[in-house]
Amino acid sequence: MSEIRAGSFTIEELENVQITIGSIVGAIEKKAEDEGEMGPTPKPGIVDIREWDHKLLNRYEPVYTPMCDQCCYCTFGTCDLTGNKEGACGINMAAHQAREFLLRVITGAAAHAGHGRHLLHHLIKTHGADHPIDVGPTNIKAPVIQTVTGIKPETLGDLEPVLDYVEEQLTQLLATIHAGQEGAAIDFESKALHGGMIDHVGMEVSDIAQISCLGMPKADPEAPLAEIGMGTIDSKKPVLLCIGHNVAGVTYIMDYMDEHDLTDKIELAGLCCTAIDMTRYNMDAGGTPTAKIVGSLAKELKYIRSGIPDVIVVDEQCVRADVLQEAQALSIPVICTNEKIMYGLPNRSNDNVDDIINDLLSGREAGALVLDFDKIGELAPRLVMEIAPIRKAKGITALPTDEKFKELTNKCVHCLACEMACPMNLPISDAMTAAADGDLTPFEILHDKCIACGRCEQECPKDIDIVNVIEKASQKVIREEKGMMRAGRGQVSDPEIREEGVNLVLGTTPGIVAMVGCSNYPDGTKDLYDIAKEMLKRSYIVVVSGCTAMDLGMYKNEEGKTLYEEFSGSFLKGNLINVGSCVSNSHITATTIKVAAIFAQRNVTGNFEEIADYVTNRVGAVGIAWGAYSQKAASIGTGCTRLGIPVILGPHGSKYRRALIGKPYDSHKWSVFDARNGEEMAIPPAPDFLISTVDNAEEIMPILAKSCMRPTDNNMGRMIKLTHYIELSEKYLGVMPDDWHKFIRTETDLPLARRKDLLKILETEHGWEIDWKKKKILSGPTMKFDVSAQPTNFKRLCKEA
Amino acid sequence: MVDTTRNIKMYTTYGTKSAKPVQPKIAAKMISKAKRPLFVVSSIVLDEDLLKRAIPIANKTGMQIAATGTSIKGFLNEDVKAKYINIHALAAYLGDTGWNGLDGEGHYDLIIVLAHKKYYINQVLSGLKNFTDLTTLSIDRHYLQNASMSFGNLKPETHLEALDELIDNL
Ligand code: SF4
Ligand code: SF4
Ligand code: SF4
Repeated sequence: MSEIRAGSFTIEELENVQITIGSIVGAIEKKAEDEGEMGPTPKPGIVDIREWDHKLLNRYEPVYTPMCDQCCYCTFGTCDLTGNKEGACGINMAAHQAREFLLRVITGAAAHAGHGRHLLHHLIKTHGADHPIDVGPTNIKAPVIQTVTGIKPETLGDLEPVLDYVEEQLTQLLATIHAGQEGAAIDFESKALHGGMIDHVGMEVSDIAQISCLGMPKADPEAPLAEIGMGTIDSKKPVLLCIGHNVAGVTYIMDYMDEHDLTDKIELAGLCCTAIDMTRYNMDAGGTPTAKIVGSLAKELKYIRSGIPDVIVVDEQCVRADVLQEAQALSIPVICTNEKIMYGLPNRSNDNVDDIINDLLSGREAGALVLDFDKIGELAPRLVMEIAPIRKAKGITALPTDEKFKELTNKCVHCLACEMACPMNLPISDAMTAAADGDLTPFEILHDKCIACGRCEQECPKDIDIVNVIEKASQKVIREEKGMMRAGRGQVSDPEIREEGVNLVLGTTPGIVAMVGCSNYPDGTKDLYDIAKEMLKRSYIVVVSGCTAMDLGMYKNEEGKTLYEEFSGSFLKGNLINVGSCVSNSHITATTIKVAAIFAQRNVTGNFEEIADYVTNRVGAVGIAWGAYSQKAASIGTGCTRLGIPVILGPHGSKYRRALIGKPYDSHKWSVFDARNGEEMAIPPAPDFLISTVDNAEEIMPILAKSCMRPTDNNMGRMIKLTHYIELSEKYLGVMPDDWHKFIRTETDLPLARRKDLLKILETEHGWEIDWKKKKILSGPTMKFDVSAQPTNFKRLCKEA
Repeated sequence: MVDTTRNIKMYTTYGTKSAKPVQPKIAAKMISKAKRPLFVVSSIVLDEDLLKRAIPIANKTGMQIAATGTSIKGFLNEDVKAKYINIHALAAYLGDTGWNGLDGEGHYDLIIVLAHKKYYINQVLSGLKNFTDLTTLSIDRHYLQNASMSFGNLKPETHLEALDELIDNL
C-alpha cells in the first residue's frame, strides 16, 4: 500500500472497504519537521549520539571497581577475569564491568518505563487518549521527550509513540548484554549513557501522564505540606499501609474512602514513592493531604515488624521480597495490586470482594492478588475496618516485651558475626552490652543508621532478632519521628525559568543542587538535612525528589521548622523544591533543558547533542544520589551525566562498579571551542568527574560548590562560586582547596573580601605576576575571560564550520 | 605479639584472589622497604586512638599521606606530609602511569590503607587489584580481601595493639 503521510486527507466514494486505524504514527514529528525546527537526532538509536558520548568519555574516563571478579553469564563460564583477563568469549574485565553497569542502567530504566506503560494504559482507559497534557504554565510541556524524540505531546495518546520508542531502545540495549555482542568497554559505556537518557524519557512520560490525570500539583511552588514519620501515624485507627511506586491502584482506595466517609476513620500511610504520590493526588487545587508518609525503604521492615499496619497493599519497585512472610507472621493480610509483585498468591481479580474479605479475615489466605482497581478500592478499606479491631485487641507485634528484650540482649555472645554481615558494619555488639546495662542510647543511634535489611539476623548464632531489638530500644525516638514534606510540585514553570535562567548561566545563582536516591546512606538520614541546609543558606537552589525529599523533612531547626517550612518552594536562589516521586526526576534534567530553550532560545526539538553541550558548558547543576542503592538510581544518574550534569554518590555508590572521572592534571582534556570562531579555549577542570563518590557528608560540601563552576560564569558568578568553594573547604576540611587558583581568569574572579591575600598566594606560591598598584593580575592564568565567548564541544557548531 | 592473621572470614567474596594475611612485623618491613609508599587514610582516623598511631606511622617513615574523606583535619598541625584527595579520584589517578603523585615526584610502589569504611575501600582496592600492578597493604581492622596483603578481622583493641607493634618495627 502506498504511504499516507501525516496531515488531513479526504477519501471519497469508497465501497466495501474496511479501514482500520491502528495508530497515527509520526504526525507530531512531521509537524515539527514541517515547521523547520526538527533537530538532527529525533528518536536517536544507539549509534546516533555516540560521538557525544565518546567526547564525554574522553574527558571523563571510566574507573572500574568490580563487585565480582568473575563472569557467569554463559555456560562457557564461570570465567575468572581478575587482573583484566579475558573470559572464554574474549571479553575482558573492563568491558564486562561496563556491561554490568549497562545492565543496571537498563534495569532501572525498564522499571520506570514499565511503570509508565502500566500507568499510561490505565489512564488512557479512564481518561481517553485525547485527554490533554496539563503540567502547569509552560509551552514546553515535555522538555526531555521533545529534546530526545522530537515529539511535542499534547495528549495522553501522544505519549504512546514515545513509550514505543523507549521500549524499542531498551530491547536493543538489553540485546547487547548477551554473550558475543559488544566487546569494547567504551561502547558499553556509550550504551549505558543511552539507557540513562532513555530512562528520563520514560520517567517523564509517567509523571506528566499522572500529573495531567490525577489532579497532582502543576508546577506549584506552594504545593501543600504532608506529614511524614513513623511518629505521625495514629495507630489507634485502622492502619492501611501502601508500599511501592505506582499510585494508580491506591487512588481507587482513596476515592472509595472519600465516598464512604472513611477518610477520617482509616489511617492511610505509605512507604516509598507511592507515599509521595498519595500526597500529590487531587492536590492541584490546594488542600491538606490526608495520606501520611512513613518513610523510605529503610523503614519497611521496621514498620511491618512494629505490627501497626493492619493491611498492606503493595504495587511495584523497592518492595521487600519477604513482605508476605513478615506480614503473615503478624496476621497482616497483603494485597498485591500489580503484576510485577505477586508473591505466589492466587489471582482473585475476578472474585467477589466479600469472598476475598472472608478468606483474608479468617486467615485462610495470607494475601490476595487483585488487579482490578475498582475491587482494590473497595477491598482494602473494608478489610482494614474489619480486621483492625481484631488485630488491635490481640496487640500483635514482633517487638519483644521488656522482659524478653532483657533476655535477648543478655543472650548476645559478642561474636561480631552480625557486624560483619551488616552492610554498614554497625556496632551491634557494643549496643547489646550497653542495653543489657540499661543504656539504650547506642541502639537509638543505630536505629537511624540501620536500613533494616535483616542481614545481621541471618548470621546470629543465638537467633537474636536484631532488628526487633533495635526497634524496641528506640521506641522513644520513634514516637518523636514527626516531620513535614512539601508534596511534589512537578515541573519548573516557564515563567520561573525566565526569571532565574540568566542568574544560573552567569553564575550569580551559584548553582542547582539536585538531591535524589534513597536509603543506603553512609551515616543515617540527618546528612541529607545538613547538606541541603548548608547549600540553601548559600543561595543554591536545592531540588529534591523521592526518598531524599522525605528523609530531609524529618529534621527541624531551633524553631521547630522543617526545611520545607523554612525555605520557599519556587525555582529561585535559596529555595527548596520537591519535584515529586522517583519518576519526577525527569523534571530535573527537564529544568536544564528549559534553561537552554527559554533563556538561550536554543531549539531543543530532536536536538539532544546540542542541548547537552549547552548544559555541560553553562548550567551549573550537580546531582547527589546520597543513598543510591537501586538500579533506578544508576539510570537516573546516568541520564543526568549524558546531559552534562555531574553526579556524586555516597560511598555505597562505589558498588555500581564504575565512575567517570577526569584528570585535572592533564591539560589537554580541558579545552573546548569558541563557537564564534572555532578557536580552542581552555576551560576550568570543573566538574572534574561526571559520576563519582565521596566518603561522608562533610567531604561532599566543597565538591558541590566546585562542581557548579562552568566556563560561562561571569566574574561575579565565578567569584561567588569560588567563595563558596573555598569557604566550604575551610569549614569542612580545615584547608584551602589546593586547586582554587585554576579557576581564576582575572583578579575580579577572586573573592572580594580576601582579594589581597589571594593575590599574594598567587604571586608567592604559583609564580603569577601581579601589578600591586592596580591590584591586577598581569600573567599566570591559563584561561582568558571573555564574557561573550561561546563554549562548545562541537566544531560543527562553530561559525566558520 | 599480636596474631593478625587468624580470622580471615569473609561475609561475601569477590572472586578467587584474596589478600594474604599479614603480621604487623612483616607489614612494617614492607613499608620500610618501599621506595615510594603512599599512606591512604580516611575519616575514621579522626578517632583519637587511631590518629595517635597514624601520625607516627607517617612520621617515622616520612611517607606521604593521602588524606581521603575528611581525615585531613587530623593532620593539620602535625609533622607529616598530608594532602587531601578524594579516594575515588585517587583510585583513578593510581591507575594512570602518567600521574606524578600527590607531590609531583612520581608514582607509588606500595599503597597502605587505614581507617576506611570496609565496603568502600574494598571497592577501591578491587579497582587497583584488577587494573594496576600496585601492591596494596591493609592495616585496617577488617580483613580486606581485595588488598594484596591484609590484617585479618580484629577486635578494636587488638587492632590498636597490632598498630603499636607495627610502629615499633618501622
Ligand atoms: S559471557 Fe564470556 S566471560 Fe562471561 S561466562 Fe560467558 S564466556 Fe565467560
Ligand atoms: S551475631 Fe548475635 S551473638 Fe553475635 S554479636 Fe551479633 S547479636 Fe551478638
Ligand atoms: S538490619 Fe540494620 S543492623 Fe542489621 S545488618 Fe541490616 S543495617 Fe545492619
